[in-house]
Amino acid sequence: MIQEKLPHDVFDKLTQELRRGILVLAVLSRLDEERYGYDLISRLDEKGLEIEQGTLYPLLRRLEDQGLLTSEWNVEGSRPRRYYSLSPEGRTVLNALAGEWRRLAHVMDEMLEDITPEGGENEIN
Amino acid sequence: MKLIDRYLHEVKRHLPRKNREDILAELRSSLVDALESQAGEDASEEEARALLKEWGPPREVAASYHPEGQYLIGPALYPLFRMVVGIALAAVIGAQLLAWALAIAIGREPFVLWDALASLLNSIPMTVGSVAIVFMILQRFEVRPELEEDWDPSSLPRITDTEEVKRGELIAGVVFSILVLVLLVAFPEWVGFVTLPEGRFYANPVLGRYLGWIVISLLAGIGLNIYLLWQGRWGTVTRVLKVAVNLLSIGVLALLVRAHTTWLAARDAEGFLMTLEKFPELLEEGFHLVGMHAFRLAFGVALIVTSIETVVLIYRLLKAQLGKEYSPQGLKSEIN
Repeated sequence: MIQEKLPHDVFDKLTQELRRGILVLAVLSRLDEERYGYDLISRLDEKGLEIEQGTLYPLLRRLEDQGLLTSEWNVEGSRPRRYYSLSPEGRTVLNALAGEWRRLAHVMDEMLEDITPEGGENEIN
Repeated sequence: MKLIDRYLHEVKRHLPRKNREDILAELRSSLVDALESQAGEDASEEEARALLKEWGPPREVAASYHPEGQYLIGPALYPLFRMVVGIALAAVIGAQLLAWALAIAIGREPFVLWDALASLLNSIPMTVGSVAIVFMILQRFEVRPELEEDWDPSSLPRITDTEEVKRGELIAGVVFSILVLVLLVAFPEWVGFVTLPEGRFYANPVLGRYLGWIVISLLAGIGLNIYLLWQGRWGTVTRVLKVAVNLLSIGVLALLVRAHTTWLAARDAEGFLMTLEKFPELLEEGFHLVGMHAFRLAFGVALIVTSIETVVLIYRLLKAQLGKEYSPQGLKSEIN
């Protein structure tokens, strides 16, 4: 219903904004152990969260600048790869963010409970 | 992989200098990882092309590494930039109009309209450009306007209704204009000055020639004022009309100042103060010169005042037009 009424680019933009906030949490949650970029993309993909490399790599660098991740080049494999993992601060932030996420998810679930899926009460037009 | 090399070379050109090589190395290993997992160890050129297409244009990939986006003047500085440009433009254009008015009034060099317009057109990009360069430097060094931490909501400025007309001013304007009009049309010989020793009256010899223009300009002003009194509010149309009426007045005043200048020049008159100084020796003719100088001065002042008022009007009009789509008034008028 909504997709039919709303211009597609508006819907896409809103979805993107919604996803942008959770990507940090998703990435942090997978970096309990050392992983390199492409590996991380595949793991998130397996779990059902698609992330573009153009989004992931700059995000990893930003998180490292913020002190949440540490990274190092590892030349042992078939080619040199940059491995990222949580720093102690990153671990603390991950726990705090996870708590906040559960709280928000609970609030949102309750809020969206009385929305009819057919869009009968939607006032978007 | 030749294609990947070419791709990365292009990405490199747009990357921030900091960590450039490191970012490139990581991109390379990730690209090869992706290619191998999709197409195996000996991927073809065609498969590499498909992968790169998926990653996106090099410029876009590089841009995602600029943490704050790439701005000449960023969103934090932009409102301040707009304000400063507005003020600077108003000041520069105002100064230019003032200089023209003075040039016409003094009349030492012939006033060439095209030259004047060209210099005005020159000064606009100069002004905007100079302000932009200063702000680009501020942006480059990440200067940010300070945000007031402890602002007080009660210190917010009051909302004044700028659309309400000021009745007193309009009525005074109409009355004054009608008086001048009657005086000029009915008793043109009364507009002049008295020469003292004999107490003889001397009519201004220049005014009569431009009587038609003066009357038109006064009538236009009276008409607009009456219309405004009737409407009670300023609107876009009346503001534009006010600018037009003012421009007409500026033209007529400039003509008058010029005519006086020519009259004085024809009599080898010196400056106002010099004439005043010499005037005991000049006797009757001296009175004529002083009188005409006084007329010229009065018209010159009126010319300058009207010019400044017009610049302010135009500035406000432009500002109101530009801001319209965001203002509630603009919305209202669209709905109605």
